[in-house]
Amino acid sequence: MKQWARWSVVVVAGLALVGCGSASESDSSSGGSDGKLVVWDWKSGDPSAASYIERAKADFAKKHPGVTVEFVAQPFEQYYTLLGAAIQAGKGPDVMLFNGGGQIRDRVDSLVPLDEYVGDDKQRLAGWEAFTKDGKTYAAPVTLQGHPIYYNKSLYQKAGLDPERPAANWNEFVANCQAITRATGAKCFAQGNKEGIGIQFFLSGLASGVLSPQEYDDWIAGKRNWTSPGVKRVFSLWKEVNDQGLNNDGANSTAMFNDAFAVFQSGKASHVIGLMSDIGHWKDFAEFLDARNVGVMTSPVVTAGTTPSLPYDGGIGYAVAKWTKDPKVAADLVRSLTSTDALKVFYAEAGAIASDTTIDVSSAGPAVATIVSEIKDGKPALHVALSSKTLDLMGRLSQQLLSGSVTVDKAVDELAKSDQAG
Amino acid sequence: MSLRSSSPPARPADAAGADGPPTGHRGARRAAAARSRRPSGGRRTERLAPYVLVAPAVLIIVVLRLWPLLLGVNFSFTGDGERNGTTVGLDNYRDLLEDPLFRGALRNVGLLVLLLPIAVAIPGLLATFIYLRVPGHRFFRGVYFFPAVLSPVIVGAIFNLLLAFDGPLNAVLGGIGIGPVDWLGDPRVAMVTVVAVHIWATFGMALVVFLAGFATLDGALLDAARVDGASLAQTIRHVIIPGLSRTIQFVFVTTMIGMLTSMFGLLYIMTSGGPEGSTYLPEYYIWIQQGQMNRPALASAASTVLFLIMLVVGLLQLSLLRRSGRTE
Repeated sequence: MKQWARWSVVVVAGLALVGCGSASESDSSSGGSDGKLVVWDWKSGDPSAASYIERAKADFAKKHPGVTVEFVAQPFEQYYTLLGAAIQAGKGPDVMLFNGGGQIRDRVDSLVPLDEYVGDDKQRLAGWEAFTKDGKTYAAPVTLQGHPIYYNKSLYQKAGLDPERPAANWNEFVANCQAITRATGAKCFAQGNKEGIGIQFFLSGLASGVLSPQEYDDWIAGKRNWTSPGVKRVFSLWKEVNDQGLNNDGANSTAMFNDAFAVFQSGKASHVIGLMSDIGHWKDFAEFLDARNVGVMTSPVVTAGTTPSLPYDGGIGYAVAKWTKDPKVAADLVRSLTSTDALKVFYAEAGAIASDTTIDVSSAGPAVATIVSEIKDGKPALHVALSSKTLDLMGRLSQQLLSGSVTVDKAVDELAKSDQAG
Repeated sequence: MSLRSSSPPARPADAAGADGPPTGHRGARRAAAARSRRPSGGRRTERLAPYVLVAPAVLIIVVLRLWPLLLGVNFSFTGDGERNGTTVGLDNYRDLLEDPLFRGALRNVGLLVLLLPIAVAIPGLLATFIYLRVPGHRFFRGVYFFPAVLSPVIVGAIFNLLLAFDGPLNAVLGGIGIGPVDWLGDPRVAMVTVVAVHIWATFGMALVVFLAGFATLDGALLDAARVDGASLAQTIRHVIIPGLSRTIQFVFVTTMIGMLTSMFGLLYIMTSGGPEGSTYLPEYYIWIQQGQMNRPALASAASTVLFLIMLVVGLLQLSLLRRSGRTE
């Protein structure tokens, strides 16, 4: 009797210990210990990024031979969920990858300002704005992300248009589209707004042709007047384009990633507002349409007196967590990850426009050359300046605009409220 | 008290007494002697033993379930972002009530409850046909179960293709002269579409449960109904449904739980909560707030509300089951 009572105590204690053990085990992956840096991202698992990571690691090892670096690749769909949990626990990685804009700005409380460490890189790299909040820089850009308007040159040719001379103003643009639709049946825009992303690309892709330069800069600076005629025009244009049948059918049930891009790649639409890096970009399109047939244009002038420019920002960048032991060492790792050598490899293998503007891109086809030549005069994309909450709301309102269940006035009113609330 | 009286050593003595009267007294005396000889420490161990034995289960439930639950509820009374860690009272719950998205999610829960009878009737009816041996019933039995083994992600991807605006279903509809329906892009139909796909993907399990229930049905009753000249509808209404009432209730409960807790995968793949936020369910809302909007405390408040809803639904169903158990 005594014996089995004793045994059951042993069993209970054992189970309790196992329970505690498994609950606390996951902490071991968090970094901050001396001599080791833990990096979280969603890139290092990609085969195409392997040599980039190798190059950066080698560069860092030269500066800090005693420090080991561990890259932990997280699945992108779960990335910010996992990161949020780690931040909540105060036990996240030392260095982490962020998308520029809302994702990093929402989380600067847990990051170290990098201005004192990366001063030397400020000139060489482009795209800092997307990682800046209240004048402080929180991450160094690796790639640039932006929204060029891609067009299919072979469709232009079939319609008897000059593929090297895309339309400069909106009326001409619509006329060209109609000519292409008549000749080939292809729609004007490949549009995917299932996730509410179509409106983000549309806003950023065309706004430089709608808003005056002053209003554009004010928007980026945080002085956003949602009810101005210019901003309203962007949203009424969004609706107008769909109502005129310029979009592919069912834009609200077409996913931007990657159904809308597939529409463009398969020649069913003549234009798409795409991306510069990673996906939905020149490299993807060139695989289907041939690099010679992929053209890039800036926004047509919708409102007279505007100067269209390429909208782009820092795409992804590495940041340093507050709880890391030595921010200087971690910042040095960030600098290695953005060195010219490493970025050159990243551009060549992953198909991204790297943040380093000194890299030679002439061999990658006309689209890349056009994009890189426009970076100099480019401006930050409008949607990147918005909080993720406002973007989410804008996604839903844009779907309502397309289905006709909300008016432009009501939509911009709601957006203004959400934007002002933070 | 009751634990003590049913403690193991008392039983063999009683049993011996019942089995053999001649040895009964001796047995009882021996047991009594053994009891008096045992030191008092042993009796205490004996008394504690049941508690020690249930302790692992209780500990696991308390440490890994109840404690995190309490932490979560507690967390829902704190703020997000700048107010991280400070107590904000009921602010998160007020935010929830004011958020049209969350209200929409709750409305969709109501819609699920309304669609529940259909989700139960479909497998019930099909199982009836299989039981009544319609031609090809063996084939149908296998085919109906097949979708139940597919993961929601695969089912979602398949139906994304089928239901696309320029997809095959709309092509067929166009062929017979009905205009295309934007199955996943029209806020009025999207939620119903997703629920329909969910039912398609999961009714196989309920069908199997129904078939198991039919196995217990008295064949003589069916024969009697047939002899009396009952039509199919009459047979179903007066013989099959009363005979299967327990099975039907069980399927109701499991289908409801399935709908409330396992539609995330389908929603994520098929609509991402859209269009216009019309296909949000509380689960999806929680995920978005925590992962995308960086508002974990608000997400915990939403989780608490979802927990309360599940608790009410669960208790209602339990009481329903208990009441029907009593009437039988």
